[in-house]
Amino acid sequence: MEKEIKKKHEKNNIFTYRSFIYLFMLIAAIAWITPLYFSFLTAFKSSTDFASQQFYELPTSFAFFQNIAEVFDRYRFDEHVLSSLLYMGGGGTLCIMFACLAGYGIVRLKPKGNFILFMLIYSGTIFPFQMYLIPLFKFYNNVGLYNTRLGIVLVFTAITIPFALFVYRGFFVTIPRAIEDAARIDGAGPFKSFLLVFVPQAAAPTAVVMLFQWSWIWNDLLFGMVLSRSNNVRPIMVALASMSGTGGSSITLQMTGVLITSIPTVILFLTLKKHFIAGMSGATSLK
Amino acid sequence: MRERTKYMWAGYLCVLPALVLVVVLLLIPMLQNLYYSFTSWDCIGVPQWIGLDNYKELLNDSNFFVSFRNTVIWVAATLLLPVLGGLLIAIFIREIKGGNIFKSIIFFPLAISFVSTGIIWMNMFTSNGGVLNGLLSLALGEEVTIRWLTEAPRNTYSMIAAWTWQQTGTNMVLFLMGLTTIPRDPVEAATIDGANKWQSFRYVTVPMLQPITTVVIAQALVNSFKTFDLIYVITRGGPYRSTETLAVTMYRESFTMFRMGYGASIAVVLSVIIIVISGFYVRRQISKDQLYY
Repeated sequence: MEKEIKKKHEKNNIFTYRSFIYLFMLIAAIAWITPLYFSFLTAFKSSTDFASQQFYELPTSFAFFQNIAEVFDRYRFDEHVLSSLLYMGGGGTLCIMFACLAGYGIVRLKPKGNFILFMLIYSGTIFPFQMYLIPLFKFYNNVGLYNTRLGIVLVFTAITIPFALFVYRGFFVTIPRAIEDAARIDGAGPFKSFLLVFVPQAAAPTAVVMLFQWSWIWNDLLFGMVLSRSNNVRPIMVALASMSGTGGSSITLQMTGVLITSIPTVILFLTLKKHFIAGMSGATSLK
Repeated sequence: MRERTKYMWAGYLCVLPALVLVVVLLLIPMLQNLYYSFTSWDCIGVPQWIGLDNYKELLNDSNFFVSFRNTVIWVAATLLLPVLGGLLIAIFIREIKGGNIFKSIIFFPLAISFVSTGIIWMNMFTSNGGVLNGLLSLALGEEVTIRWLTEAPRNTYSMIAAWTWQQTGTNMVLFLMGLTTIPRDPVEAATIDGANKWQSFRYVTVPMLQPITTVVIAQALVNSFKTFDLIYVITRGGPYRSTETLAVTMYRESFTMFRMGYGASIAVVLSVIIIVISGFYVRRQISKDQLYY
């Protein structure tokens, strides 16, 4: 009898515990979704609707496409998007090539001082970006790289290499020696076995690097702002940020900008989501 | 022997491009920045050596003091909200059905940039016509006009809310990963021994989560010290420089007021803080790695 009462009591306890959790998670979910919901709503409104309506009312006409056209036209999003795609392609590709090569050289070819070489490159993740801005600004002005696409690609490559090297190094140490020896006996030199033996197996670390570094490049504001000034060089986030603040554009256009510029990173995250944890767990130093 | 030499030179060749880029564009600038922090320089003339004057000025600069205080608030709030909140949510998600839906919802803002997050939350916080005041007005039945972004220190707290929205997902995912690696046996053993939920969490789960907690906290600390984009987009550090953090102050002094030497010294202060904090973690990480080496 007593046992039964106790059991019932426990069941009640669990019930209230569960409902507390559901309530908590429901509130959190609502808090997380609300800003997104109103972002879509705002982006879909024309500026007249936005001015005349209550904030929660649905738009009288679907103005999203007019808003997109206006954002591209007035804020030169076409140029900025093109530049940023170039930076992703150029910076990302160079970063993957150089970091993969360096990881291979350091781990598999083991030249003298390989650990020091690794630490030298990896130390690039330790300092906050603020530490590089002033000298880079001066250096770029002196050598004519300021406000050039090449300059931005180079700095994005340099910034993304240290973390990428860290990922590739972790990958190269896991490959058994025997595979390499077999290639060597077959007469493959160091570069041939890199291309034929290691590169084909490097899909997983490359996915991690792509997810983190592409989304970082696309989302960067600081370097784009400091190292460039004209529309055809400045990356997309600088353009988006310049829409906010005093003298900026209406919130409907800003929100339209937010939605269209989020598409590439959302796609990246959806396709490469499972690599997120692999990258995060080794990536304290990532921006 | 000749083969060994050949492989060694090939090794150097492989490292070379990455090394050159990192040294020229990151490490040398880092040292130059250190030098500039001891100079007075307006970006046009030649840097003048002034010794420790920039650092002395920092100590008496009320703007720097506000900026430093804001940075500390950001860091403390980050540990409290996105980190502790992420842990709570990770634990709760495992306790209920449909947890994956909640997981996706909390995770989603990670795919969005800080600039976008800033604009999304400006729409929430604007005092006139903003969503938050609108919802409060509806709920309370009277006009609410709270100035979320123009009154210090409330504006910093408002932006921390936006930051929490964006950052909680990372920590949640990491904690979830840590929780799945904990074997069930110790928790069950504790329950059989009469531990209640809180006790088994406190004395079994928390100690076993230690490795992942180190990662989460180190990462959250470093990121919150570097906060820039969100503040730049939402308030530009204003009004009257009341919401600046060290990263924003550094940008403003260097690239708005062109006091490059002074800006450089702020960058150095920020670096020293970050290196001291992350140093502990990085050392740990590397000594662990070397086992495979």
